[in-house]
Amino acid sequence: MEALGVTEPTLLEHVLMLTRVEKFMNWSRATSVWPVTFGLACCAIEMMAAGASRFDFDRFGSGIFRASPRQADLMIVAGTVSCKMAPILKNVWDQMPEPKWAIALGSCATCGGPFDSYHTIQGVDKIIPVDVYIPGCPPRPESLLYGFMKLQDKIMSSSLADKYRELFEPPAQSPIESVEPIDLIHEGSQ
Amino acid sequence: MFKSQEMEINMGPQHPSTHGVLRLKLRLDGETVKYCYPVIGYLHRGIEKICENKAFFQGQVWTDRLDYCSAISNNLGWAEAVEKLFGITVPRRAQYLRTMLNELNRLNSHLVWLATHAMDIGALTVFLYCFRDREKILDIFEAFCGSRLTTTAMRIGGLLEDVPEGFDKMVKDALHAVRTGLVEYETLLSENRIWLKRTVGVAKLNADDCMAYGITGPMLRAAGIAYDIRKAHPYAAYGEMQFDVPTRPEADTYARYLVRLEEMRQSVRIIEQCLEGLPEGPVMAKIPKVLKSEVGEVYHPTEAPKGEIGFYLVSEKGGANPYRFHVRAPGFFNAQAIPLMVQDSLVADVIATIGTLDIVLGEIDR
Amino acid sequence: MSHVHDPKAAPNRKINLPKTAPVPSPGAHAADVKATQAAEEAKWQKTLADYEIARANAISEGKEPPKPPVRHAVKADAHDMRWPVPVEAQDPDLHRLRELLGGAVEECFEQAGELVCQVKKEAILDALTICNQDVALRYEMLADMTATHYPGGWGFNFSIVYHLTCIRRRKRLRLRILILEGFEPESATQVYPGANWLEREIYDMLGVRFANHPDMTRILCSEEWEGHPLRKDYPAVGLGQRDIDCREDRSGVLTRKTMEAAGHLGINLKPLKAE
Repeated sequence: MEALGVTEPTLLEHVLMLTRVEKFMNWSRATSVWPVTFGLACCAIEMMAAGASRFDFDRFGSGIFRASPRQADLMIVAGTVSCKMAPILKNVWDQMPEPKWAIALGSCATCGGPFDSYHTIQGVDKIIPVDVYIPGCPPRPESLLYGFMKLQDKIMSSSLADKYRELFEPPAQSPIESVEPIDLIHEGSQ
Repeated sequence: MFKSQEMEINMGPQHPSTHGVLRLKLRLDGETVKYCYPVIGYLHRGIEKICENKAFFQGQVWTDRLDYCSAISNNLGWAEAVEKLFGITVPRRAQYLRTMLNELNRLNSHLVWLATHAMDIGALTVFLYCFRDREKILDIFEAFCGSRLTTTAMRIGGLLEDVPEGFDKMVKDALHAVRTGLVEYETLLSENRIWLKRTVGVAKLNADDCMAYGITGPMLRAAGIAYDIRKAHPYAAYGEMQFDVPTRPEADTYARYLVRLEEMRQSVRIIEQCLEGLPEGPVMAKIPKVLKSEVGEVYHPTEAPKGEIGFYLVSEKGGANPYRFHVRAPGFFNAQAIPLMVQDSLVADVIATIGTLDIVLGEIDR
Repeated sequence: MSHVHDPKAAPNRKINLPKTAPVPSPGAHAADVKATQAAEEAKWQKTLADYEIARANAISEGKEPPKPPVRHAVKADAHDMRWPVPVEAQDPDLHRLRELLGGAVEECFEQAGELVCQVKKEAILDALTICNQDVALRYEMLADMTATHYPGGWGFNFSIVYHLTCIRRRKRLRLRILILEGFEPESATQVYPGANWLEREIYDMLGVRFANHPDMTRILCSEEWEGHPLRKDYPAVGLGQRDIDCREDRSGVLTRKTMEAAGHLGINLKPLKAE
């Protein structure tokens, strides 16, 4: 062994692993993302299929679909968001604790899809910030798994310091004075 | 003395067992439901308005997304309605294939129903078993039209193309899986004490109320009335098929469970007959590329897994798109009966009621 | 707040108001056939007249006269398509209805195997009651009910159709009324309780109100929705209600900071103090 230049790990190295706090936290977050159940339409059925026997979402540590937004880190918006549903979606999103992520599953959540009509919001990114868009009408479960792996990559590369700055350090001009309470339904329609 | 107080709670629209985005306003006295008011429309997408602005051929795409668990039944209903409006005769081979696909779709829809209904009541194992067997049926749809869920399988005048090679074998394998699966589900549920406690005598709705509220399909058959549009007004190739219409007199959740399981057996029977007697010939009628309508009006009911799905069309002279398009969705009527069924029952039974109605909000809100 | 549809902002989404009001009936069909034949005949006469002029011109100029036109027979249709023509009522149910309702019946016919009976708008409740109660009819179920908007109609703006089902005899019947804007038909809930949501949907989508309805509110759209979407003068993309935009407040952070500044604790986050 020593001839090859490899030393035996010491006793300490058997029980210790060196890493950065940020990387460790990101790793633990990325491998235990709990989604909130937000099935709206067709894509929800494919989301269920992704969680069921053949595709087995649990392999990624995120098969635990939580009914309560307080216990969830990820919102998979699966389906069409209508005007009547938008305030509720925003409400559920605001109840989720940080850090949180969102996946827009399917064409409807991405851009309105085939429903170019009076009662459909043209993409959920008008209401909440979206991390991963998954196209398809509906996307296959494999697409959802792939999109989820992309989200894991994103989580792994996120920076704690940036997040802290975004949340707690006021920007140069504080926006607090200029912010008014949001009227969801009538916003932007004047 | 104890003081009693009624409590109002809001169930949905974001709730794991409302099968989508149904919202119920409940007034409870302890655990007992005193008043229930369903609120719908959280998935209203304006499908009727969209289809009125699209050509007859294009309308097919939006029918998939009405009841997304049984897209092929909606496709069939739409295609048949337009064919009735224009007086198109469909070739016999296409009729047989349509019947077969429709029955496969019924199996698929009932499997989703059983999975979610059992999961709501607490039997997660059944969910996994049902989805395992359902994947086999979805593979058939995928081989036929390239899509798992939103199939757009039918065309006006027949089918887009003939079935692929090895289709028989796939269907036979899937039927075998469903048939063995059915035995497993029954072993898990039919005599399960928890299942019986949660379903027997729950959410009763007798035949008179069913008819007054326009409820059709397995709900009506579980109330003892053998009404099936496949028998009463035969369409596609159902006139040539041998099958029974299962009924139960009890009109409760358990009876509906039995009726739906028996329906799945009958579907397997129909598919086997279709495979045996599949005629040769073309799968598409000779029709013009662009359909121009005359003044007409048609209402065509077909038997979807959830009940009667009807398409009402009005056409104008020389029009390429329907003047008026309306869907009679079975779930719309089923959901209307929720207050009747949950009155004075326990709040836990509301979950069982929603499950047994087999509602899909996509077709209710449209 | 009122929403205004701006066709300039989306020029390809203009509203095309229909010019005709398609309500099928044997009379309308006969008139249509007659008009088509008359148009064809007029065209033929014009061709003949043109030919005569051309021939006279050719003879006067000393040229060879053109060939006389040939009237083509109507080509036999090669398609598997036969448009179903409305025919006079033959079914005993329609005769029975006409017998019981008398003068209230405006039209009875059959098309594509469907029985249609158009009644006077004031008599719809009687008609429904008779269909439900009469021993010979006994239509137990209201299968469907919907309305259509006809902005180009003469003497009517809406048609309302009721699809009834007789489960015992395996029969179906369509009742139809034609109404003007503002008329409130009697609610069918008095006979068929299942009409409740259907009538609410018609009110929501088309703006037809029903008299004696227990709960005449909107059902699919929210209560403060403006306009009735399925009217022909309503644009498919709506009046702008769908253009919700909350992007400036992406994660709710701004709202939370506002709340913190106002003295409330933010959701799930205690404000940290830097040492």
